[in-house]
Amino acid sequence: MIEFYPQILLVHIWAISLSGALFFTRALASLFGAKWCHLLGVRILSYLIDTTLLTAAAILYTILPKEIFANGWLHLKLLLVVLYIVFGFVAMRKSNPKNIRVILLLLSAICYVLIIGIAINHHPLGWFYS
Amino acid sequence: MTTTKKLWLGLISLLIVTFAIMLGLGGDLFRTKPPIPEKIVTQSGQLLYSKDDIQNGQKVWQSMGGMELGSIWGHGALVAPDWSADWLHREIVNILDERAQKQFGKNFAALDEGQQALLSTNLKIEFRKNTYNPNSGVLIVSDERADAIKKTAAYYDSLFSSDVKTHQDRETFAMKEGTVPDAARRHEMTAFYFWTAWAAGTDRPEKVGVSYTNNWPYEPLIGNKVTSGAYVWSLFSVLFLIAGIGLLGWHYAGWHAKEEHLVPPKTDPLKGIQLTPSMKATAKYFWVVIALMLVQILLGATTAHYQVEGQEAYGLKIAEFLPYSLTRSWHTQLAVLWIATAWLGTGLYIAPAISGHEPKFQALGVNFLFLCLLIIVVGAFAGQWFSVMQKMGLAQSFWFGHQGWEYVDIGRFWQMFLFIGLILWLFLVGRALLPALKRKDELKSIVSLLFLSTIAIGLMYGAGLMYGSNSHISVVEYWRWWVVHLWVEGFFEVFAVAVISFLFVKLGLVRGESATKNVLFATIVFMAGGVIGMFHHLYFVGTTTAGVAFGAAFSALEVVPLALIGFEAYETVQQSKSTEWMKRYKFPILFFLAVSFWNLVGAGLFGFLINTPIALYYMQGLNLTPLHGHTALFGVYGMLGIGLMLFCLRGLRDEYQWSEKLLNASFWAFNIGLSLMALCTLLPMGLLQLSAAFDHGYWYARSAEFMSKPIFDLLVWMRMPGDLIFASGSVLLALFVLSQWTIAKKDK
Repeated sequence: MIEFYPQILLVHIWAISLSGALFFTRALASLFGAKWCHLLGVRILSYLIDTTLLTAAAILYTILPKEIFANGWLHLKLLLVVLYIVFGFVAMRKSNPKNIRVILLLLSAICYVLIIGIAINHHPLGWFYS
Repeated sequence: MTTTKKLWLGLISLLIVTFAIMLGLGGDLFRTKPPIPEKIVTQSGQLLYSKDDIQNGQKVWQSMGGMELGSIWGHGALVAPDWSADWLHREIVNILDERAQKQFGKNFAALDEGQQALLSTNLKIEFRKNTYNPNSGVLIVSDERADAIKKTAAYYDSLFSSDVKTHQDRETFAMKEGTVPDAARRHEMTAFYFWTAWAAGTDRPEKVGVSYTNNWPYEPLIGNKVTSGAYVWSLFSVLFLIAGIGLLGWHYAGWHAKEEHLVPPKTDPLKGIQLTPSMKATAKYFWVVIALMLVQILLGATTAHYQVEGQEAYGLKIAEFLPYSLTRSWHTQLAVLWIATAWLGTGLYIAPAISGHEPKFQALGVNFLFLCLLIIVVGAFAGQWFSVMQKMGLAQSFWFGHQGWEYVDIGRFWQMFLFIGLILWLFLVGRALLPALKRKDELKSIVSLLFLSTIAIGLMYGAGLMYGSNSHISVVEYWRWWVVHLWVEGFFEVFAVAVISFLFVKLGLVRGESATKNVLFATIVFMAGGVIGMFHHLYFVGTTTAGVAFGAAFSALEVVPLALIGFEAYETVQQSKSTEWMKRYKFPILFFLAVSFWNLVGAGLFGFLINTPIALYYMQGLNLTPLHGHTALFGVYGMLGIGLMLFCLRGLRDEYQWSEKLLNASFWAFNIGLSLMALCTLLPMGLLQLSAAFDHGYWYARSAEFMSKPIFDLLVWMRMPGDLIFASGSVLLALFVLSQWTIAKKDK
């Protein structure tokens, strides 16, 4: 399976980029009152991208040597992913007050940026790791 | 004589004739099954194995999970090899290597095609020759073959131990380290594997070119190839299918055109139905359905994951405490158990609703049965854990641990307990239905048929008690399929048709009389193919050509009603649209529609794909089998179980609003997830394996060499999106059921 590492990594990177791009576009559009961002087709597209992302992540985890994860960066990343999803989910709900949604969207964006930094550097300090 | 009476007579006659044929063919199988020798000795007089070794070996194989880890004669799990095919190939190659070294100074694989053909042609005649003496009970093998047997046994001994030399194979085959830690047990198990391979590669007495298993598996090195009988009966099978579809189409055109449409009642006849204490007591059955389904899906995901990480799950060394054979055992058992629980609950719920009669202590009986079911699930599963972990004696393992026979593999004690539970269920349903059975109204026939199908479901499980711990594998296979096949392709089908029709009659959408005729006719059609069609599971387990012929011809007829299931689906849609209040039943009906769809695709198309003797000869035990298994078992009976559960919940939570959002998402997640699982993984994997079996022999399609190719890992991973969507369907359904007892609001 390690033979497919470059392709799987590429899928993973594309999926995380698309997932983030679609989410933040939808969230911003939703804040400005747009309706398209809640359409069934758009939601399904988002689920498809996220499922692909999760699958690629699970494959990478099983095929890479476990030593890579020894410093605990993956655990922190997973925690941030959960926070990203929870913040994002609540930020998308139209029934919540707008200011709360903006704050949650910002928190979600921070999580996203931290996740990218941790994933690239393979270290819990992420962007702050030198 | 009325049409209904004629149909009843037709059905009874059909059942008498078909079951007589079944018993006759069973007798034939018992007489002609591969013999178990008293002794297997070499030409120089050395004892290799005894009958006790073979029989104990079978018990060891059963205790470690049996058909849940690898397969025998193609029946069982798919990740590890088919032990019969694998042993046969290894034994042959060991002999050929020895001869190749002597004649050409190289291993067999290194020879050119001509040299290989020369050696294998010479070997074929002597290898296939039946050297078993039925009078003395002794099987004599050449010293050369004895050496090959010993070498093969040494590999198996290493594979089932913790030997580092075979660690990689264990990982590929999802076997735990030290699968059978006891060396004496391993020795006995090799005797059993040798014997199953011997039966697969040895000609029947006075029948040159046809082995005891009708030449299964395909092994070109000794001329194990499809028999002429399999070719002929495969062609006839297709002919019967076309003829059956034509006849049934004709019937539909004539019969259904004449049916008058009924004006439905203005209000829901079942709304506000008086719930009796026993009906209320069934709610917990449906909670358990949800719990078992969630655990079953989790175990399914774990079992699938074992295909990519043979002993671990994301770094956790899971095989040490929850090995593959156990997760697969529980996964398959739970599938049957949660579906059965949904049906049991439905039977107990609708019986008093039909008759309007609540017998004394009925609620107590419902609660007692529930308690028994819980004890059975917990007890049987705990026993299987101890057995697979090899912490039980062989006798105890049979009674309380793992019997190793797929779908009926809980210990004999638990099996008997479950049988008693089913009889208790019949008693409870029967006593509640009694007033309705005595009434001479238009519903009498359909209620009788519904009750008869439940009796048959209960009693057929008793066939699983017809063999013992020492029974011959061919005998066990015969009775095992009485349970599994006659359930899923016989009485479950009848129950499904009868219960759905009955519900429509109760809702006032269909006349009782026409529903009765339709159900009786459908029962005749299902049973015409379904009973004797059982033999399509037994083509290669010791049957003669007669078994192949009957199996092929009649199992093709099983597909006939499925091919025309669109008529039924269309009627269901029409009925669901016939009145405004039918919206209350939108979701049970959606799931019933899914039953029709998967009956066509999962049971019909994917079932017939592997049905003819030629097809099954190559496909048995490849991933095309679970393709049919998943799409038919969940697609048809799982969806039916959910539909029935929702129907009962509609009554149990009559005043409460339903969350359409949750149920809609759940419904589509189930269907899309199941489709993706089938199309992205099981079908392509099965086709790749099929191609490998054609090119190199069956053993190769299941070998570590082939199954460890990266493309297989990738295809297994491709299951993940579909499986996640599928699993989310079950979580959403669970949330819906939970919401009904927590946050659901009452109707205004």
